[in-house]
Amino acid sequence: MAIRGSAILGALALAGVSLFGLSAKAEDVTINVWSLDRDIQPAPNLISDFNKLNMGIKVEYRQIQFDDVVSEAMRAYSTGQAPDIIAVDNPEHALFSSRGAFLDLTDMIAKSTVVKTSNYFPGPLASTMWDGKNYGLPKATNTIALYYNKDMFKAKGLDPEKPPQTWDELVDAARKLTDPAANVYGLAFSAKANEEGTFQFLPWAQMAGGGYEHINSEGAVKALDTWKTIITEKLASPDTLTRGQWDSTGTFNSGNAAMAISGPWELDRMVNEAKFDWGVALLPVPEVGAERSSAMGDFNWAIFSNTEHPAEAFKVLEYFASQDDRMFKDFGQLPARSDIAIPETGVPLKDAALKVFIEQLKFAKPRGPHPEWPKISKAIQDAIQAALTGQMTSKDALDQAAEKIKAVLG
Amino acid sequence: MKRFLSSMIDGRGFDIGLVSLPLAFLLALSGLPLLYNIAMSFQEVDMFSLGSFWRPFVGFKNYRDLFAQPETWPILANTATFVVASIAGQFLVGFSLALFFWTNFPGASWLRGLFLVSWVMPGLVVGAIWNWILSGDFGVLNFILREAGLIDGNIFWRSDPAFSLWAVIIANVWLGTSFNMILLSVGLSAIPRDLYEASELDGANVWQRFWTITLPMMRSSIGAIIALGLIFTLQQFDLFAAITSGGPNNASNVTQYWAWDLSFRQYDFAKGATISVIMIVFVMIASVVYVRSTRHEVRG
Repeated sequence: MAIRGSAILGALALAGVSLFGLSAKAEDVTINVWSLDRDIQPAPNLISDFNKLNMGIKVEYRQIQFDDVVSEAMRAYSTGQAPDIIAVDNPEHALFSSRGAFLDLTDMIAKSTVVKTSNYFPGPLASTMWDGKNYGLPKATNTIALYYNKDMFKAKGLDPEKPPQTWDELVDAARKLTDPAANVYGLAFSAKANEEGTFQFLPWAQMAGGGYEHINSEGAVKALDTWKTIITEKLASPDTLTRGQWDSTGTFNSGNAAMAISGPWELDRMVNEAKFDWGVALLPVPEVGAERSSAMGDFNWAIFSNTEHPAEAFKVLEYFASQDDRMFKDFGQLPARSDIAIPETGVPLKDAALKVFIEQLKFAKPRGPHPEWPKISKAIQDAIQAALTGQMTSKDALDQAAEKIKAVLG
Repeated sequence: MKRFLSSMIDGRGFDIGLVSLPLAFLLALSGLPLLYNIAMSFQEVDMFSLGSFWRPFVGFKNYRDLFAQPETWPILANTATFVVASIAGQFLVGFSLALFFWTNFPGASWLRGLFLVSWVMPGLVVGAIWNWILSGDFGVLNFILREAGLIDGNIFWRSDPAFSLWAVIIANVWLGTSFNMILLSVGLSAIPRDLYEASELDGANVWQRFWTITLPMMRSSIGAIIALGLIFTLQQFDLFAAITSGGPNNASNVTQYWAWDLSFRQYDFAKGATISVIMIVFVMIASVVYVRSTRHEVRG
């Protein structure tokens, strides 16, 4: 609340100045912002609100497509045409900060009265860091958890208030829930050969003590073996290997899967589509009491290092941060902050689910950060798919991935 | 010099001028990017040196690294399978349809026109539709095969490494058939009818007429369609992106998709360029075949 208060005071003070005719249009500094947000998403709306405050900074917005963010930004930076501020996907943040393309914000954040690093969840914050310094601010965040169909749990004699806690319980429940005659799989998730596959698998490896630096650890092998059991016993559709998370969860919504691993971006669709009682549980862990972990998605804000107006650009970021409490209410996205309570939506299923996601966010870990993340990720995807299709054992596949990752890490 | 200038109005200089314009155009729009691509395959390129041309020269390192990767040979083999099977499928189905419509039954030309719909559709749309058709659990293709009693359990076309490449090939054959059919129809209609009448009088049967008249007369059309087919199949990217994303575990990955993945997803632009250079060699071969087969046509 303190953050919001001071921001409003500042805004009022500036508005007062402009009332006395002191706002000097000619001296306005122009700040360019690029992000992939559409007109109903945060960036364009926050920017138009900011421009109305007349703070002597004029912000111009350009929307870029998801697939173009990195290549467009790199080309712009290397030819000196970069915008002042950009939003990048969190695993790609380190790529830019490690090469000095993003501005080191450590000092500005330390002096700031608006932005406090302690307010952020540790995972999203870590994704903006490189070498112990802050190269940006989390824009929003998300994670994954286990959705389950309470009606199906009841029908198969499982307790709908006791969703699976461990991997073994998850596989057992999936076995009981799978019903080929009724076209029902026990579980839906994504093992696709793109970032989504890594996003879904990495938390499993991390919970068992693995990670991208030691992807062939015993725990990670056990995680992949568990996935393999699920696929070979047809507890999940074989198309899990080529389907993204959105399509996989679609089979849950239509009643063709009893459980699904996915994120809060599904909530609105599920509220509309799912004609059954459902709930959300934390991702099952290897055994009771094991360390929790989860995936972490969404974008970060950063300032390019060749900006001519670092102070003004940072002011814009401060404004964005001051509006974080609108993130969920106005745009349905989760702010990456632990000091902001998510307001009730009035939809009981959704509110209960959000509580679980907020809890899960505490354990969310960034992918990397590492400048060569896409290559590391590709090695992990190939290993997942080689094991799940039975071309290699989990151990051999992960050994090969570890070999490739070692070459990347140098 | 004066002679040359005056010949600009009428004579050699005018001819040179006419030829040099398109040549300059070709060089600027195709030649330079091609050379740039080849140069890039011998350099160390990372995303921040993309904007400058002077980058460290590494010789054949990119090529050596590429062929040291375990997935390289399987992907090259996939590409060969994809190209040969797609061209064969497109050509055989296309030729059969062209012959079928050649019989000129009522409404034939109208129906033939309808077949062009598939050629007009964007690859990504075709890919999305085939993605549903080939879906393992609820796909139409599995339903038809099951009802026809050809299979017992569902085939996971997109996710089974034994089928995923063929899933894309099926979609690509569907996509390219109509183009083959139209070009071959044109070739067929160019064959003088009196040749057939004469041979019929001499007592040649349907097969003899096909082998001795139709096929030889269609030589240039067939050469052109196969060369174009090679180029189109080596270009085919959308279907991979829409149906399998090259998965599972590269089972349906081909060079053109891999080049994109390396360049724009893993940001390894030098390796992406290296694969493109390897592909250029194949397209060159196709161009030679194409030029040779159409040269025959011009003399015609």
